Amino acid sequence: MLDKSIKILVVDDFPTMRRIIRNLLKELEFVNVDEAEDGAMGLEKLKAGQYGFVVSDWNMPNMDGLAMLQAIRADPAMAKMPVLMVTAEAKKENIIAAAQAGANGYVVKPFTAVTLEEKITKIFEKIAKEGA
Amino acid sequence: MVQQNPLGASASGSLLPDSAEQLLQRIGHLTRQMRESIRELGLETSVAKVAEAIPDARDRLGYIAQMTERAAERALNAVDAAQPIQDALAKEAKGLSQRWDAWFANPVELDEARQLVMDNRAYLKSVPQQVSATNAQLMEIMMAQDFQDLTGQVIKKMVQVIQDVDTQLLQLLLDNAPSLEKKHEPAPAPALAADTAPAGNQLHGPEVKTGLVDAVNDQDQVDDLLASLGF
Repeated sequence: MLDKSIKILVVDDFPTMRRIIRNLLKELEFVNVDEAEDGAMGLEKLKAGQYGFVVSDWNMPNMDGLAMLQAIRADPAMAKMPVLMVTAEAKKENIIAAAQAGANGYVVKPFTAVTLEEKITKIFEKIAKEGA
Repeated sequence: MVQQNPLGASASGSLLPDSAEQLLQRIGHLTRQMRESIRELGLETSVAKVAEAIPDARDRLGYIAQMTERAAERALNAVDAAQPIQDALAKEAKGLSQRWDAWFANPVELDEARQLVMDNRAYLKSVPQQVSATNAQLMEIMMAQDFQDLTGQVIKKMVQVIQDVDTQLLQLLLDNAPSLEKKHEPAPAPALAADTAPAGNQLHGPEVKTGLVDAVNDQDQVDDLLASLGF
């Protein structure tokens, strides 16, 4: 059974989108949600806190989502952190680049609540399977 | 070449407006002068880029119009769907409350009281379902706000394009201003921002057109692409 108290970080430069994702997570009963407005701030928070899951945009100032993902994968302390990309980037080359960098899922904006739930469930199911 | 004031129609001091023919001649002359200057200054490529940016800008503005309209419709539809549910809840509660008031004022008929209790029970049972239907509409209103992120990204790009066009045109004007006595060396035209972006891993923002071969159109295509690559 999925632990709903897991600490989640939502990284997006648009406050509206952060609120939407936070509300959707709340609807899915994930209540322990924190926010960051770009990759640099996201990485800082991730290094400081006990997060279990990251939902990140791609195109952001300072440090974009892909660079943040690469930094997460390069850091032994959090290399296994599940990361879901939620982005407007719909070019095939971008999707492939994110997958190669180690993204656990890729959702294209605009997305539906059902899609987000599906991807999150799938990611945690896979982790549970691998851990078993 | 006779120097003319390109802006004023009254360069000669006369306040009389030009005749139509004179005006056309003047515009023709200015256009020719502009073209020559553009060629002399090596700005032809920049101008071509600006011209290319215009249809793209049209697509972007169309995308913004479409997304905002869709968001407004989604929100209004959700309100239309939620209001009758709320009205019905309130109306039923009011009706039951009145019946209870009447019974408490005159608590005699047992049959009526029994019916009231049963109706009340049925109402209480139906409330969570109705509330969750309203909640679904509230979620829909929230999801409709996702346009702000998408149009915001497109608007940022548009602002960049407008800034580029503005800079280029201003440069053209400065380099070509007849009032400047000394003809200075034209400054190199600033490149459009798109040229300076690093190659590879380029970010494109939301797709403003559908049906492109190098981009996906929906989440299913994302999933298929990733699955085909073994992710």
